[in-house]
Amino acid sequence: MNNTIDPERLRQRLADARAERLQASLQRRHRKEAVFRGLGLGAVCLALGFLAVLLFTIFSQGMSAFRSSHVQLTLEFDAQRLGDAGSERERLEQYQTWLDEALLRALDAPESRASAVRPLLSAAAVYQVRDRLEDVAARPGGRATLWVLASDEVDLIQTGVVDRAWPEAARSLSDQHLAWIDRLSEAELLERRYNRAFFTGADSREPEVAGIWGAVVGSFLTLVVTLALAFPVGVATAVYLEEFAPRNRLTDLIELNINNLAAVPSIIFGLLGLAIFINTLGMPRSAPLVGGLVLTLITLPTIIIATRSALRAVPNSLRDAATGMGASRLQVTLHHVLPMAMPGILTGTIIGLAQALGETAPLLMIGMVAFIANVPSGFADPATVLPVQIFIWSDSPERAFIAKTSAAIMVLLGFLAVMNLAAVLLRRRFEHRLK
Amino acid sequence: MVFLRRAEPPQSSSALAAASATQSSSGFLPGALVDRPRLSARDISVYYADVQAITNVSMDVAQHEILALIGPSGCGKTTLLRTFNRMNDSVRGCRVTGNVIFDGEPIYRKGVDPVALRARMGIVFQKPNPFPKSIYDNVAYGPRLHGLVDRQAELDEVVEASLQRTGLWNEVKDRLHKPALSLSGGQQQRLCIARTIAIAPEIILMDEPCSALDPIATARIESLMRELARNHSIIIVTHNMQQAARVSDRTAYFHEGHLIEIGTTDQIFTTPEQSLTEDYITGRYG
Ligand SMILES: Nc1ncnc2c1ncn2[C@@H]1O[C@H](COP(=O)(O)OP(=O)(O)O)[C@@H](O)[C@H]1O
Ligand SMILES: [Mg+2]
Repeated sequence: MNNTIDPERLRQRLADARAERLQASLQRRHRKEAVFRGLGLGAVCLALGFLAVLLFTIFSQGMSAFRSSHVQLTLEFDAQRLGDAGSERERLEQYQTWLDEALLRALDAPESRASAVRPLLSAAAVYQVRDRLEDVAARPGGRATLWVLASDEVDLIQTGVVDRAWPEAARSLSDQHLAWIDRLSEAELLERRYNRAFFTGADSREPEVAGIWGAVVGSFLTLVVTLALAFPVGVATAVYLEEFAPRNRLTDLIELNINNLAAVPSIIFGLLGLAIFINTLGMPRSAPLVGGLVLTLITLPTIIIATRSALRAVPNSLRDAATGMGASRLQVTLHHVLPMAMPGILTGTIIGLAQALGETAPLLMIGMVAFIANVPSGFADPATVLPVQIFIWSDSPERAFIAKTSAAIMVLLGFLAVMNLAAVLLRRRFEHRLK
Repeated sequence: MVFLRRAEPPQSSSALAAASATQSSSGFLPGALVDRPRLSARDISVYYADVQAITNVSMDVAQHEILALIGPSGCGKTTLLRTFNRMNDSVRGCRVTGNVIFDGEPIYRKGVDPVALRARMGIVFQKPNPFPKSIYDNVAYGPRLHGLVDRQAELDEVVEASLQRTGLWNEVKDRLHKPALSLSGGQQQRLCIARTIAIAPEIILMDEPCSALDPIATARIESLMRELARNHSIIIVTHNMQQAARVSDRTAYFHEGHLIEIGTTDQIFTTPEQSLTEDYITGRYG
């Protein structure tokens, strides 16, 4: 082997090849970069595309649920007959008669039977009349004009979900009904108006009066329980583990378990809640209290992990500064470390709560899937929550619930967006205050 | 910079052995003890897990003196400084043997409250670390914490006096309630010193307080130290030979966790007895 290397020649050779090689290498690098950027951009576009399709589907299906068909009727009461009616049931029947008469007048079809025109109106219409016009009805010669709820079948025709061109047998409304709908529309007595019931009511068997408010209140009560338990317990656990606990086998084991807890499927927590809170401790079924307890178990690991990483991000120089001034461990933590970690802790908490807000499976296990037609008024009342309401409606046979389902999803997404926005704003405010 | 040339000193281990041999039979280096000491380290060893960072250090700190701790980086100056006010207690895996005597009382003993100890022994760190609060709240933190004042007016006085002594008052008096982190590096370090002296500690520990500062800020802090030494004992860790020579009364040289030589600053810088000390001071070892 010839081992003699002439350094001068080597230098010369490298210098000659340099420009060329650099050029080639640069080209290779640029190509790689372009490919990488293209892939990244493609991934982002794909994700955005899916999101757009999802949102479009939900919005196009759900928007119609915020309005519902109403019929304008002029009711002519007779205080005398109301006075004759003894029981509440008889009074209601009386109202139904006046309602039927008003509809027949509006349809200009006096020879038709009341039972034939009734499918045009919601079963809830008679209650609307009674609740709103009780005073007028009690007056001699009372008379009033009111927009009452049309039935969901009419609304489906109006929104085009049910096609008029379908054969009569495939529709629940007959051709005669369609003719009446047209007559009402021409007379401007049939309109799609703001659907108040959707925002103020609880669930119902009648799609046109089913509302989201019951589920919203249920979700709120459940999250209050979750927040009230998971935040203090989670933060205290994280602070103890991070700032006070010695490092030994036991704390390592605890840490491992907390991390594993975050990965346990949530339905398992539902079973746990059913077994412990309901069967053993005898707490009420379907209650926000139990739902909140179960969601606390699910949210705790998230809050603990977020808090620990927020605490770890606080520089040791800050702890040193306070310790060196003679602050005790607790004072160091309360005066300096926690305030500095607070933005991270709050963000983690809100993310945990958002996760809890969307949780469905464990709540099915503890009975929050029951049909509940009342807005809950306390932590022990039977209730349901938004995602479970979505699940219930999506599972209902009536076509009108399709739009309700999408509308409920929009409400849920709205709440999630608000919570995330709150997380961002809180973070900003805290960071601003620290600067 | 001298300490960047980290060539292995050829005679290191033998010189270390020679240095150890000069310890008197009582175990103290000549010059390590003083009359009526304020603070004494006795046979201090510090371990991080299994690694020994300080080996059998014994020395005294006199009343109202400035003692400089010098030595190559990693030799354990910071570790030793932090053992004086038990700051190492909160470091995981850190273990201290031997004892520190403060006012005749051992501080590494059951029943000694490190919190009370730190109220009497302030510490200033290498990197300025003001609290992310206002300038005023930084200085007021200690007095409030220890309940040193009863009235707001009194607190205002303490804050003003502390800022005056660090020469910061005129620069910040119009923005006391602005965030401390908006100050420059030198101002932040002087604020940290003001925060420390606001609780009137008897001893001030300083860990390379000027390493991040420009010459002007450094000069201010040095003159501040001389001023403070009238009422306090100061132990300062420094990498800067000139600084040690300028401000300190006595100097201790450390090497790989051992106290090699200690004496008056004059003696250490003009006639060092150990070859390790001489090499370091003359820049042959860094
Ligand atoms: N928290 C710690 N954990 C483990 N080892 C440490 C720690 N702090 C310092 N050491 C080690 O102790 C030795 C002395 O460090 P230090 O006291 O910071 O030296 P100096 O301040 O003189 O540069 C070094 O070897 C360093 O690596
Ligand atoms: Mg150091």
